[in-house]
Amino acid sequence: MSRLEAKKPSLCKSEPLTSERVRATLSVLKGIVASCYGPSGRLKQLHNGLGGCVYTTSHSSALLANLSVTHPILKILTTSVQNHVSCFSDCGLFTAILCCNLIENVQKTGLMPTTVIKLNKHLLSLCTSYLKTEACGCRIPVDFSSTQILLCLVRSILTSKPACMLTRKEIDHISTLILRAFLLTIPENAEDHIIVGKSIIVPLKDQRVIDSTVLPGILIEMFEVQLMKILPLKKSGSLKVALFRASLSGDLSDTGEGTVVISYGVSLENAVLDQLLNLGRQLVSDHIDLVMCQKVIHPSLKQFLSMHHVIAIDRVGVALMEPLSKVTGTQPIGSLGSISPSSYGSLKDLCTAKFGFKHFFHLIPNETTMCSLLLCNRNDTAWDELKLTCQTALHVLQLTIKEPCVLLGGGCTETHLAAYIRHKTFNEPESIPQDDGYTQTELQLITEAFCSALESIAASLEHDGGEILTDMKYGHSWSVQADSPSVANWPDLLSRCGCGLYNSQEELDWSFLRSTRQPFPPQACLPCGAVGSANNLTLDCFTAKLSGLQGAVETANLILDISYVIEDKN
Amino acid sequence: MAAAAGSVKAALQVAEVLETIVSCCVGPEGRQVLCTKPTGEVLLSRDGGRLLEALHLEHPLARMMVACVSSHLRKTGDGAKTFIIYLCHLLRGLTAVTDKEDSFMSKNIQTHGRHWKNCCQWKFISQALLTFQTQILDYVMDQHLSRHFLSVFSSSTKERTLCRRSFEMLLGAYFCGRVGRNNHNFISQLMCDYFFKCMPCESGFEEVLELVDGCFVELNVGVTGLPVSDSKIVAGLVLHRDFSVYCPADGDIRIVLVTETFQPPFSTSGMEFILNSEAQFQTSQFWIMERTKAIMKHLQSQNVKLLLSSVKQPDLVVYYAGLNSISVVECLASDEISLIQRITGLSPFVLPQASSQCEISNTALVKFCEPLILRSKRYVHLGLISTCPFIPHCVVLCGPVQGLVKQHEDALHGAFKMLRQLFKDLDLNYMTQVSDQNFTSSPPIYKNTRESNQLPEIVNGSKQRPYQSTVVRNKDEVEKTQTYLKESSNLVVPGVEIETYGPCSTPTDTYQTDEKLRCLSPNKTRIIDDHDLFIEGNSNSTTENTRIESSYENLQVTNIAGKGYMLPVRYKSLEIGTSQNYCFSSIPAGCVLPVGGNFEILLHYYLLNYAKKCQQSEAAMVGMIIANALLGIPKILCKSKKGIHSFPQMYVSTLHALQANQSMVSSQTGLESVSGKYQLITSVLQCLTKILTIDLVINIKRQPQEIYNLDSEEEL
Repeated sequence: MSRLEAKKPSLCKSEPLTSERVRATLSVLKGIVASCYGPSGRLKQLHNGLGGCVYTTSHSSALLANLSVTHPILKILTTSVQNHVSCFSDCGLFTAILCCNLIENVQKTGLMPTTVIKLNKHLLSLCTSYLKTEACGCRIPVDFSSTQILLCLVRSILTSKPACMLTRKEIDHISTLILRAFLLTIPENAEDHIIVGKSIIVPLKDQRVIDSTVLPGILIEMFEVQLMKILPLKKSGSLKVALFRASLSGDLSDTGEGTVVISYGVSLENAVLDQLLNLGRQLVSDHIDLVMCQKVIHPSLKQFLSMHHVIAIDRVGVALMEPLSKVTGTQPIGSLGSISPSSYGSLKDLCTAKFGFKHFFHLIPNETTMCSLLLCNRNDTAWDELKLTCQTALHVLQLTIKEPCVLLGGGCTETHLAAYIRHKTFNEPESIPQDDGYTQTELQLITEAFCSALESIAASLEHDGGEILTDMKYGHSWSVQADSPSVANWPDLLSRCGCGLYNSQEELDWSFLRSTRQPFPPQACLPCGAVGSANNLTLDCFTAKLSGLQGAVETANLILDISYVIEDKN
Repeated sequence: MAAAAGSVKAALQVAEVLETIVSCCVGPEGRQVLCTKPTGEVLLSRDGGRLLEALHLEHPLARMMVACVSSHLRKTGDGAKTFIIYLCHLLRGLTAVTDKEDSFMSKNIQTHGRHWKNCCQWKFISQALLTFQTQILDYVMDQHLSRHFLSVFSSSTKERTLCRRSFEMLLGAYFCGRVGRNNHNFISQLMCDYFFKCMPCESGFEEVLELVDGCFVELNVGVTGLPVSDSKIVAGLVLHRDFSVYCPADGDIRIVLVTETFQPPFSTSGMEFILNSEAQFQTSQFWIMERTKAIMKHLQSQNVKLLLSSVKQPDLVVYYAGLNSISVVECLASDEISLIQRITGLSPFVLPQASSQCEISNTALVKFCEPLILRSKRYVHLGLISTCPFIPHCVVLCGPVQGLVKQHEDALHGAFKMLRQLFKDLDLNYMTQVSDQNFTSSPPIYKNTRESNQLPEIVNGSKQRPYQSTVVRNKDEVEKTQTYLKESSNLVVPGVEIETYGPCSTPTDTYQTDEKLRCLSPNKTRIIDDHDLFIEGNSNSTTENTRIESSYENLQVTNIAGKGYMLPVRYKSLEIGTSQNYCFSSIPAGCVLPVGGNFEILLHYYLLNYAKKCQQSEAAMVGMIIANALLGIPKILCKSKKGIHSFPQMYVSTLHALQANQSMVSSQTGLESVSGKYQLITSVLQCLTKILTIDLVINIKRQPQEIYNLDSEEEL
């Protein structure tokens, strides 16, 4: 039976970017990601015709994971964004939009890819080195003695995800929760290097968002039957805990490669059960109050334990094993025989709690960096989005600890950076290494392409037909409503810039983002007072945005460099 | 059945198609090619071999070419793109020549007869090609080209030491052709750092190279989602696993390798375990437990802090390991285990059969052992203490997408292959009998020239002396100069040569050092650039040796040929202890030339000269065709250049320089391996001979036979 076929020859296409189809799909992708961006972004409904649930989302990771992309070039782009998101959680849409825009803008210039790639790299290094300097005008150092900036950061992330369906009040509530959850994971006595704990997100759907809460320690869901059995056993004071990794179900362990011959009448099950009960006796004599097992506990053992007022929780699952062992200070036990007393741990208290319709064991530790974030939202899809957003926010807070600064949000960083680069290349061309590979005109063309790609991110924030303006002093972005008169009294129409740092009463000059303007040096230093006073800033994660910028330019360069696509058709 | 009347024409068509694809990624200006796999994986590549394979070609000739390329790649690991370009140019040259001949051919020969006549003609040409490849090419390499060679070794002592600067140039040029334009500098720097970090001392790099080449998969970690510039080198070994149990430990950390489970099983294969009662079962379980416990206790008493296991250990073992503060890493791949064994010389721990109180000899010390988190994935990071000349280091390669990371990984791996090839001496086939018809022009003093090929060693030997004092050294050199003079008396050998040099007089005992390489070779090394003027034409020594330029006037001393013949032998027997009269010439290890078509233009020039002198029209024609085909590469490399660097300009100026014996102008800063280039040309010529000897392509329309099935099953 020959089921082998000769391999089909591959399809080889040259200069893929020049093809109309690729351009069209690229612009469709750009349309999708750009329309999701920002607080007023449009939501996307993803549904699979073959079944499964329907997602309503504007989150890049949910969007791109479900989008089936066929063209290899787009695949490169989307996997690059997905990889970025899995590293940094935030700024996925930013990366995708920037990358698409960069490719598109560069294509319009019609320059040789060699030159373009070289120049893009120079411009990128200009950006990154500027963002890393102290004098950078769109960077705010984080003061950990107050929660204000961190709260702004979390709130900006929540606001930028409209699919969570939160009201203003709910956003405030959730951002405080997230920040509190994060602070609970930081150990109290910090040594030279901090090991940040973990916040476990516990789902509680179909509840009011306001009911969400944060608890120190771990919540384990239990069934009502269990509850009935355990309730009378509740006792106060510190509890001694044993955590089992090995199965306590009484199944036989691996007997090796050879054969095991069992004489008639010998029941191994009984033997194992005896062993389990012996174990139970040992546990009881060791004054254990709580037994937890990753796998199943044999009903007889459970019965035995409950007779001796020991609480047994089984089927904890592998995911909870590490947090549990950390919280209780136990060593997961892998033996059914003699157990070393050193592998027992302790808990401050155990209580049962009811949230919504669900009952939980609440394990209250003595001192730990574990906490549970009980998230409520009205429906499944909004809950999923909220969960993603909370994870993003928690991750961003962790990243901010490593690199204690934040970037201005609301498009201000992008317009400011664009203004800075324009100024550098037009007024101080010596800041870019001059080698023989390109002319001054080429440099200016690419600068324009690069800067307008950056600015188009700020423009993507506007979805309601409004206009984005930029001021000529700070280079921040300002948004104006759709039906405002074209020449108007700008200070009255505009109130605050995108990030909320400056207000319009400062005697600034404005210009439309899409119009051309004279390059100007954006004012670098931040006013000291401004950061302190403004409590409603829109902020972005520094590490994620910087890396997104690098990723986007690198990916765009990669795509521009492709001269052939060989598709294996097998 | 299709008659291959135009087998060459068909081959040319195929080669031209391949050339257009391949030539877009050649050289520093080359671009990327995106390959998709049926699995949906997306791969970026500039690697010619990979591209050709990804095409899944159907045409029989194309498949043959790809097979030739892959066999060449297996040998050298480099040069697939150049292979296709050469081949294409050679075929083009051949068709051009035969078309011309065709027009002279009498028209009255019947077509069928003409076909066979064609075939005969092709066969004749292919034989000529083969002779060329085996004889003339080596001769030209050895006699003419070798004078231009540079070396990556900086010291002139016998211990070969690498010159870091030229090493960097070599790698820079290699990566220019392999990775994206933005990253080649970074990656080449990374590779260079890695290589020098892994080497304990300047010498002994062959072993390091061999090990790294063999185990590169284990020595690198790919991380996606981070910018390429975050790639780094970490000291120690990174295992692609996480700890099953991690117990922080410092100080004296000992490790143990295991390949079996620690927990004794009830029964082993081929054995029966008979249970008569429940108590018996419980006792045996108790025994198993106690024993596992005892082993772990014992390990702890031996200061063992880490267990590396190739299998999954039972919960019991992991538990007791944790109790005894021993960290455990399970399910290691066998390659990882063998790498650890190679580095530390550790052999797997064997469970003591009777008593557990025996001494454990199979432990190794590590400097540290900790988890390493890269992009939220956890790895085990071990600071192994090496017992071999390789200091363990790992490369962490970052990139926005997997395809790019893979490309960098492949490029680094390929670079190690290339280096291994470079550091091997390559024997030339230049020992053939003079009676061969192609060598009629060579006088019988052939032997002497061959002898003089031993000169590098001689010079090497005498080099050990110069440290005593300058006076002695000068004497030494005078002596050597004399040797050279005597040598040069033999220079009459290829009549061609002397003419090309023309009259010139340089003072004796002058050293010309290449400006580029000077900084690295402090006082005693004299690295001579290819564009310097060399008079000692027939010594194929490379820059690892001192070169003395003697004035050509001394050529008049022709009548001491006999002595000249004797001298090298004497020297050799002095220094090496073996006197072997007949020796193959070779391309010594570490020979390099500047990139950018230098090799090709040089070879082109000398081949043309050879062809002019050659009496046989057939050989001359072959020589001409090959010489012209060689120019294909520099043409492509200079395609985007303007002005003085454009191909015609560069070609003319180089030829002028060669004719006038002036220094060649080279704008390139990279280096490439000579032996690689040489092997490439031989491979191409062999492939061409194969193509030419085919007279018919028979198309079989049947299911593939069994042999074919076997092959494809392997692929599946």
